[in-house]
Amino acid sequence: MIEAVNLAKHYGAKTAVGGVTFTVQPGMVTGFLGPNGAGKSTTMRMIMGLDKPTRGTVTVNGKPYVQHRDPLHQVGALLDAKAVHTSRSAYNHLLAMAATHNISTKRVNEVIDMTGLAAVAKKKAGGFSLGMGQRLGIASALLGDPQTLILDEPVNGLDPEGVLWVRNLAKHLASQGKTVFLSSHLMSEMAQTADHLIVIGRGQIIADAPIAQILSGAQQAKVRVRTSEVTRLSQLLGNNGVKVECNENETLEVSGLDARQIAAIAMENNVLVYELTPLTTSLEDAYFNLTKDAVEYHSQEFNNEPVAAAVKGL
Amino acid sequence: MSTTTISSPQRSARGSLTFAGVLRSEWIKFRSLRSTQLLLAFTFLAVVGVGTMAAWVQAMSLEQAMANGMNMGMPGAPVEPMTLSQAQAAMGFNIYAIPNAGLQIGILILGALAVLLISSEFGTGMIRSTMTAVPKRLPAFFAKAVVLIVVSYVLTLLAAIATTVIAIPIFSSYGIDISFGLDGVAYSILMGGLYVAGVALIGLSLGTLLRSSAGGIIVLVVIFFLLDFGTQLMSLMPGEFWKYVNQYVPSVAGGRMLEITEKAAFISPLSGGLIFVGWILLFMIPAIISLKNRDV
Repeated sequence: MIEAVNLAKHYGAKTAVGGVTFTVQPGMVTGFLGPNGAGKSTTMRMIMGLDKPTRGTVTVNGKPYVQHRDPLHQVGALLDAKAVHTSRSAYNHLLAMAATHNISTKRVNEVIDMTGLAAVAKKKAGGFSLGMGQRLGIASALLGDPQTLILDEPVNGLDPEGVLWVRNLAKHLASQGKTVFLSSHLMSEMAQTADHLIVIGRGQIIADAPIAQILSGAQQAKVRVRTSEVTRLSQLLGNNGVKVECNENETLEVSGLDARQIAAIAMENNVLVYELTPLTTSLEDAYFNLTKDAVEYHSQEFNNEPVAAAVKGL
Repeated sequence: MSTTTISSPQRSARGSLTFAGVLRSEWIKFRSLRSTQLLLAFTFLAVVGVGTMAAWVQAMSLEQAMANGMNMGMPGAPVEPMTLSQAQAAMGFNIYAIPNAGLQIGILILGALAVLLISSEFGTGMIRSTMTAVPKRLPAFFAKAVVLIVVSYVLTLLAAIATTVIAIPIFSSYGIDISFGLDGVAYSILMGGLYVAGVALIGLSLGTLLRSSAGGIIVLVVIFFLLDFGTQLMSLMPGEFWKYVNQYVPSVAGGRMLEITEKAAFISPLSGGLIFVGWILLFMIPAIISLKNRDV
């Protein structure tokens, strides 16, 4: 369990994390979602005691991380795949990490096998690809068989097999009652792995809810209806929680009814409808809507396509 | 690359964080870099090599001084033979110090290695792995310090013994007897490593404070080489004060630890040692405070 209370980090006048309060529960996978520069990594570094909070506190399994007597058994963290001496072999890196806690060489070999590093374990870590570096980072995080696992962008650079493996690992550990906290800037990744989502933007928590709740909010589909009788159709459709918007001439955007139901109502009432287009809101759109005011680094738009379209394409 | 299925919790993963474990971890890190292994072998050869050359030059010039005296190049000046101790005094060196004749090169390399021991962790990002495993941070610093003290001491000790073994026949071929039994030789052999270990601690502290390999090594060279020259120049300035500054700089005070003789108007070997310890603390304490408090 991770508990952050009013946790803040300022770098001079710049606010990286602006007083966040959240709890990461054991027994489920919690996703930490936000655009680049939202404060995800800074928050995770503060959890691990690498960065000192400007304000507030954060505890892991009941205590600040620094105060644990067996830190690697409490928390395993992958914060930065490059947190390795480039000239040392993966095996020796893990051996040195394990030695601090008197963890056996047998366990070192286990995590090497588990993460699929056996073939490259004796090679210099500096020559690893991004994906192999991630596997080494995950191997170090698993060394102490920790109660809590914190992974910052764990699937970055992994091949599809590796991505699937990380997903299964996260779910498996959560099912054993462990706390699993994963960050990502990709909503689609989170949708497939997380049970609960904490969304952060510009150092503030934007949403903290079960994934199902965020998805149901996200998937509220709309139907675009073009009709010659806008006012009459609006009145016919607009009841029992159905929302009708009219933004342009002869066009309605209806949420709460599907295209077939709208067509049926229109036919019953002899209203001419000349377009019925279901507008599905993707997870990325929902995420984009959640974080659009909180994006630190806006990309320039090309060919007048909104950034959302680019995000959707990922 | 295939990955095996995820196994259930392993008993082999159990253990707890101890200083002995941190020390073992730092030793594994130290010995597992090929560049470090090569550098240590090179350092040993360089210290013994420079020591051998110095021994040869010293033996040759002492023999000359004893046979012909020192006429300072003045033509027609009377030439008188000197005793060994007169010759040593005239040349400004002591033959009992021969085990540490190559010490300066050892200081340079081991001091730089000490800077790198931590600055390379900051440079590569390894420091975040280290501080995740040892979140109290200081045990990792002290474990590094212990590794450096042991390595510097043992390497310098072995090099001093090897230099002496080689120097004995060189000196005897010039008719000068030295041996392990000569006053000060055993003392030099035992003390050289302590001085180098002290330099290494200052190097480690500089690497911790500056977090930069280049910066740390430059400051180390300034402290141990340029400060001596600088303060020697200062002693030419008018006023008594400036004449005494030189003997308090780290390299001169630390080097004084290795000597057994009293010198006029100069600090004693014991005071030199204490001043050197003061210098070590002057760098180590800020390094410890910085490591404990700054973000990594």
